Amino acid sequence: MKKHLNTILLSSILAFGGTIVPAVADNIKIGFNVPLTGFAAADGQSALHGAELAVKQVNGSGGVNGKMLELVVYDDQASPKESAPLAVKMITKDGVVAGISGSYSGATRAAATIFAESKVPYISAYAIHPDITRAGDYVFRTSFMGEVQGRAGAKLIGEKLGKKRVVMVTLNNDFGKSLAAGFREQAKNFGVNVLAEYDYSIKDREFGPIISKIKADKPDAIYASGYFFTAGPMVSQMRAAGLNQPIVGQEGYDSQKFIEIAGKASEGVMITTSLDRDSSSPETKDFISGFAKKAGYPADMVAASGHTALLVVADALKRAGSSDASALRNAISKTSLSASTGKISFNGLGEVQKDVQVQVVKDGNWRHHSVISDAVLLAPPSK
Amino acid sequence: MLFFDLCIQGVIQGAIYALIALGLTLVYGLLRILHVAHAALFTLGGYIGVIVTNGSGSFLLALLTSMLIVGVVGMSSYTIIYKPLLNRTPLIALIASIGIFIASEELFRIFFGAYGLSYTNPPLQGQIEILSGVSLSHARILVVVLAIGLLSGVGWLAINTRVGIAARATVIDPEMAASSGINVEMIRFGSFFIGSAFAGAAGVMVSLLNNLVEPTMGAVPSYKALAIIVLGGLGSVRGALVASLALGIIESFGTIYVGHLLDRDSIAFAFLIMVLMVRPQGLLARG
Repeated sequence: MKKHLNTILLSSILAFGGTIVPAVADNIKIGFNVPLTGFAAADGQSALHGAELAVKQVNGSGGVNGKMLELVVYDDQASPKESAPLAVKMITKDGVVAGISGSYSGATRAAATIFAESKVPYISAYAIHPDITRAGDYVFRTSFMGEVQGRAGAKLIGEKLGKKRVVMVTLNNDFGKSLAAGFREQAKNFGVNVLAEYDYSIKDREFGPIISKIKADKPDAIYASGYFFTAGPMVSQMRAAGLNQPIVGQEGYDSQKFIEIAGKASEGVMITTSLDRDSSSPETKDFISGFAKKAGYPADMVAASGHTALLVVADALKRAGSSDASALRNAISKTSLSASTGKISFNGLGEVQKDVQVQVVKDGNWRHHSVISDAVLLAPPSK
Repeated sequence: MLFFDLCIQGVIQGAIYALIALGLTLVYGLLRILHVAHAALFTLGGYIGVIVTNGSGSFLLALLTSMLIVGVVGMSSYTIIYKPLLNRTPLIALIASIGIFIASEELFRIFFGAYGLSYTNPPLQGQIEILSGVSLSHARILVVVLAIGLLSGVGWLAINTRVGIAARATVIDPEMAASSGINVEMIRFGSFFIGSAFAGAAGVMVSLLNNLVEPTMGAVPSYKALAIIVLGGLGSVRGALVASLALGIIESFGTIYVGHLLDRDSIAFAFLIMVLMVRPQGLLARG
């Protein structure tokens, strides 16, 4: 019953919200499914701001092939049962030349299958599930897979920080589980001994029992997956309970909001991510200042990913010289682009190949800590 | 030591559940309605707590304001939503309640933003060592003190005052109560006020423990509190309190020892099912 109401209510919201962009003939349309309501709405808004900024930048410098880009935005509530029909609508009704997911894995997987079957290029901006790119040749991903980031986390803790006794706190969804798998896979290679692993659900904000147990485990470091809205409360509760070990997280933490929630407890927390706030690259600097101006709050990983994914499409459109789907797909696969999240290129499966940025919280801001650039360690699967 | 620590964490969680479940069980006792929208009042309490604390610097003021406003909103929810539906089947009131709850999440998002709010200077962060190796923040201790204080206050009212006796009489037989001159309507308003105010207090405390209020903060309490009042025995206040504490402690140990198999909610519901198999009427329900 609750689900039915949910659908009725939200589809009525969609009916109003789905037509944000006025349709103008002869623009190049790019589909964008993104959670603008529901639990993932905060990430969705950031991703949308990022993509809109990219559209503004591209159109501001004359557009692509003499035409302007137009973003066709739909709210998918981070739900596969929303994103699948939206994908059909974008392809058949709106006639988008490519689609971008600014959403989580569940919604992205469902839409990716439809884009792949319809042979329209589709890019996952930051959803991490391994099966997304396996939907077909037309699907790409501009962010790290969970496993890749998990491996980087193992290297960071075992080698760079030299901590060997580690407790894992794992978010029990595809994001947390794939990070944990990557971490465990490489832990031994870096001499890391995983003392224990505790699971929690995305709805949890109260970590008292897990923290009590970690205190008894006495680890040297904590590898904890989560999003800023779970990690913020978790980190603040850990520090409040007297756990002073280094805490290593991942791109899910990557938001100013994490620092706001965890407050002083966030100092020294490290993450593996895609966005380097102290980058000297002009693309990243432009993005960071442009985003703050547009959105009114500091840039985060999700925003940079939305921005990057759109620029990848725009760049490929230019190189393809047309909006033809197969030409565009081939152009995307040959991408070599400096974007806000680093130098982007894809392997045979459509997975991005780039360095992992390590950021640390210093004086209430995310700052550069180091870069992990180990092509072998960070190689995404190619099949 | 770990055992003791986990018990304490369970009691803290149980105290929060108890504050939320009280209102739900009062409403069920009086009107036989499952008041799902109660969880929206819990979220509202959290938002008021953060906003008033950040604005005024006084957490106490925030707590009191939140309880007052949420209490009044709770009373008006009775007038606006439930009263016109009292002659229909309870199912209709339930659907209305679910609708209000879902809409409220989006309203919170529209008014306060999708990112949620945090305390700029979270109060009550000092630590007290209650046993060697087990220290708790003032905020955590306050949760338990507040729950014990508020709930025993209501218990005292119910047993020792005429209003309390009238309220209990209304629960047992509203028509008899009305014909003995009890103002049933006032009892309903009072119960909505107290139950909602306590949910508001719980919202403020949870917002402080997590330093975060989000639009979806009420999602878990919306069904967990239902489980608690079923577990306790529908309409039984004492049962709801026992069930809150039991669930808090079960979840605390469960998260550690079976957490890789079942998440927190699954543990709670598995426990609920096991209890109902043995005692279908709930823990403390009469017959």
